[in-house]
Amino acid sequence: MSAGAVTGMRAALGEHAPSILVAALSSAFGVSLLSTVGVLTTAIRADDVTGASATVAFILPIAAVIFLTIAVYVGAVVTANSFSTIIAGRTRAIALRRLLGSDARTERRAVTREGLLVGVAGSLLGALGGTVLTTLLAATCVTLGILPDLPYALAEPVLLVPTVVVVLTTWLASWIGSRRVLAVTPMQALGASGEANQEEAAGGLARSVAALALFLGGDALLAAGVFIGLSDPQGVLVALVGGVVSFLGVIVGANRVMPVILNLVGRLFGRGPTARLAAANAVRHPERTARSTVGLLIGVTLITTFVVATAGFQQMIRAAQAAEPEVYAGVDRMLTTTVAVFSVLMGYSALIAAVGLVNTLSLSVLQRIRELGLLRALGFTRGQVRGMIVAESAQLTVSAVVLGLALGTFYGWAGAQSLLGGIAGSPGLVVPTVPLALCVAVAVAAALLTLVASLAPARRATRATPVGALSA
Amino acid sequence: MTTATAPVPAHRHVSAAQPIAEALNLSKSYGSDSATVTALRGVTLRLEAGAFTAIMGPSGSGKSTLMHIMAGLDTATSGTIALGGRDITRLGDTDLTLLRRRRIGFVFQSFNLVPTLDVEQNILLPFDLDGRRPNAAERAHLLALVDSLGLTDRLRHRPHELSGGQQQRVAIARALVTRPDLVFADEPTGNLDSRTGRDVLTLLASASRDRGQSIAMVTHDPIAASFADRVVFLADGRIVDDRGRCTPQEISHLMLNLEAAA
Repeated sequence: MSAGAVTGMRAALGEHAPSILVAALSSAFGVSLLSTVGVLTTAIRADDVTGASATVAFILPIAAVIFLTIAVYVGAVVTANSFSTIIAGRTRAIALRRLLGSDARTERRAVTREGLLVGVAGSLLGALGGTVLTTLLAATCVTLGILPDLPYALAEPVLLVPTVVVVLTTWLASWIGSRRVLAVTPMQALGASGEANQEEAAGGLARSVAALALFLGGDALLAAGVFIGLSDPQGVLVALVGGVVSFLGVIVGANRVMPVILNLVGRLFGRGPTARLAAANAVRHPERTARSTVGLLIGVTLITTFVVATAGFQQMIRAAQAAEPEVYAGVDRMLTTTVAVFSVLMGYSALIAAVGLVNTLSLSVLQRIRELGLLRALGFTRGQVRGMIVAESAQLTVSAVVLGLALGTFYGWAGAQSLLGGIAGSPGLVVPTVPLALCVAVAVAAALLTLVASLAPARRATRATPVGALSA
Repeated sequence: MTTATAPVPAHRHVSAAQPIAEALNLSKSYGSDSATVTALRGVTLRLEAGAFTAIMGPSGSGKSTLMHIMAGLDTATSGTIALGGRDITRLGDTDLTLLRRRRIGFVFQSFNLVPTLDVEQNILLPFDLDGRRPNAAERAHLLALVDSLGLTDRLRHRPHELSGGQQQRVAIARALVTRPDLVFADEPTGNLDSRTGRDVLTLLASASRDRGQSIAMVTHDPIAASFADRVVFLADGRIVDDRGRCTPQEISHLMLNLEAAA
């Protein structure tokens, strides 16, 4: 193999490292989740005094599939975004090959092939890691006496399902993310244009209308659920459908919603040149921004929904307890445990989303190196450039977190209200409870994420020298 | 001499008789000792206040390196640079950045404007960077500049909505708006068609003639250089010729001789 080919492969690996990591995280999550469910089911079956094993065997896999679906979806969105950002950086090279006679479909197929490789490599790594992790965990639990010593089946064929699913979704994500390859023209190899045309604000009217319809329709169902819940706990089923539909509307319309939120959040950072440029950069590619924040939005919304719903349950149950104490004994502790476990599982999707955020920011800095050099030439100090990158990162994080908190509070309240609005001793409609601990935890996590996400890009950005950037 | 009649902005702490920028025995080499490339070999150059100077030379002659060092974008291996009477050779990165922001204007061949800012924001960027608004006098200067450059009805446009010539005029407005000690122009017509290029050169020449703006322009285009009051020729990292105003024909002739000698 020639030295050039080796360097090329190393560069490609560097570009794809975050996508491989995302695939690995998703498949590790899936494999661990399914093996844990297997272990728990075996343990509970062996110890079946309550006869509850059939119910558990039924509920656990369903919960696992839901969490897995969310993680895989977030992972796919992140990967599609990484690929479209990578394509933006390769426009010149692709244009040159088009100029020399390569056709657009071949170019896109080449990118998709990379996606398949990324998916296979990441998924296998993750599956291996997940299996090792669960095996160690089970062994530790047996040693500590938490689990009975039984012959647990840890490498079951069912574990292939998440592995294969992650490969396929990564592949699909690379196909979606490479759509812009088709729009590259041979002319782009000739022009000296740094950034000729801004990426289209995009998303057709149909998409916006669909998003709005989903959101409003979902909200109507939520309201109906809350109303039914005042007399019948089955209102929660209506509310659940409403919540899913409404949030789907937010995700579909994220390319419209996020820029608006980002603009508002951007104003909070003041009107200095650093803040203003950061704000403009954050909404520069609405599609890309929406995709890089939507994962985080999903994570924060889900966690908030669960926490607020639980706080609502607790509030109503306490009110009911006061009226009829013996009926509700012991419910509190169970709810707290459930919400803790669910939050950790939801937080995992947020982790995958965070990888995506870091990656998008890194790649976009890399692609803006000439522009950063220009700013340095015109008199931006290193500190100002660093400040700009940190502000961009903060705006993305804060926007996703604020919107997620707002949506989650709404959904969580509706959930609690529709389920328990009519229980014995219930006070009827209550105001949503947003636990302070949640706000603090989310704020700390957001601050950490901002810092981590901007660390590498800021270092790279401050290394941009005017001469290097302008002669490149 | 042009400087005798040119109005000198009040904040300049040098008299017109002194050079606005001065490079003394400047050398620059790149790379480690096994593969050293020498770009400049002892260049001494004084740029007079208010003059429009063209720096010419074939590719690889060191003209861009000379400009980068004199503009505080790069550091010299040896020799000293003074700008507006102040030695800037040993300044650190932050001081050089502030110097570029307040006392130097730039016009580049391409990629001149910040794509996310509109025309007015691009022009006002040097003030923004300093965290201040232009005062009344600066505001009047800005309006006059925008008007003379024909940009009045383009202030709300973004760079990608403008033609190449318009973009370059915005860059010129940005370079002139702070009345810097010196404007550096690096191949300012390199990406423009010849008519638009001539317009841009006329603008630069009139900024120097009418406003006393000192300008140093790096170019390898004889027509561009013929707009300058003075033409300095570089070859192989040395100054090989230094003349007053020349015709494009004379400049072409000199350049051909330099190429032949190389």
